[in-house]
Amino acid sequence: MDAESLSGLSAVAVTVDTPVGYELQPIKKKALIQLMGSRLWGRFNPNHWDPIYARATGLAAPIQTGEMNSAYLFEMCVNHFGAAMYENARFQCKYVASTLADEVITTHGTVRQKQPRGDGFRFVVDVWCDNEAGQVKSVGFVEVDVGVEESAS
Amino acid sequence: MSDQELRPLTSIQRLQTREFIAELEQECQTYWDMVEVGDILSRDLTITPELVVLYADAVEDFNPWYEGWTMNSWRKDGKSPFGTAIVPPMLLSHFILSVQFDHRKPFAIGSIHTFHDTEIVKPVPIGATVTITSKAVDKFIKRDRRYLRHEVEITDTANGQLYLRETRDIMSL
Repeated sequence: MDAESLSGLSAVAVTVDTPVGYELQPIKKKALIQLMGSRLWGRFNPNHWDPIYARATGLAAPIQTGEMNSAYLFEMCVNHFGAAMYENARFQCKYVASTLADEVITTHGTVRQKQPRGDGFRFVVDVWCDNEAGQVKSVGFVEVDVGVEESAS
Repeated sequence: MSDQELRPLTSIQRLQTREFIAELEQECQTYWDMVEVGDILSRDLTITPELVVLYADAVEDFNPWYEGWTMNSWRKDGKSPFGTAIVPPMLLSHFILSVQFDHRKPFAIGSIHTFHDTEIVKPVPIGATVTITSKAVDKFIKRDRRYLRHEVEITDTANGQLYLRETRDIMSL
């Protein structure tokens, strides 16, 4: 059994036969303030890691950079689309509500459309993430080719 | 949740935190005032294996395709469907921030990234040096909030290969 089988990713890989309406497997991440404020992420802006500063600017708690949610959504898509996510793909995302420190974020995705392209399809997938209460934090879509390159070669 | 539960600190850590924040606030101005439509900023970034690890660990993405550095062996070529280890595309998107906020000016504290539309053209091998070029294309007000729009291209510094294109909005104080 190879690593892909062990991780279960082969079972969720999207193929040309995957139907519209297919739901991607979610992933969960906790908005940990220590990660939100790490040097490569929010350290430059105390709104991302300092509760006192965040309150002074009107926030209930430090907020995670929206780009962390983008990273979560992208990871979910890689689980399903694999290498196709790294070439001729598109990812549009709006940050519609702040992710507060300590919230648990769950990603979601649903195949909205399959546009014929060569012998394959360009999949359009609605993606979003929300917190434990179902409040949507980020919303967007992904476009990714499945089976297109193989048919062209 | 209390501050101490969120981020437990002793008195010396609290003091260090307040000093750090005071430094950040010293010369800040709003992003709206900092940028004019038509401004173009460009910087080169070498994406080292360590940079990728720092990025990926914070979002707990342990995809082995991103591993050009592991504990004990340290730097290595790594493996991915494209040959050697590759850069998470959203790392590239994340680093645009470091270009569009002109590092030679006071930092525009309080700005919020609200939107991106990203075209991922080609995978980037870890170790590549990329050129990030960001152009301010619009300043607009929506629901009494001030936004700035940038169009960005990321190319290979050595051969000009286009890796990523992005339109992104920042909300300014």
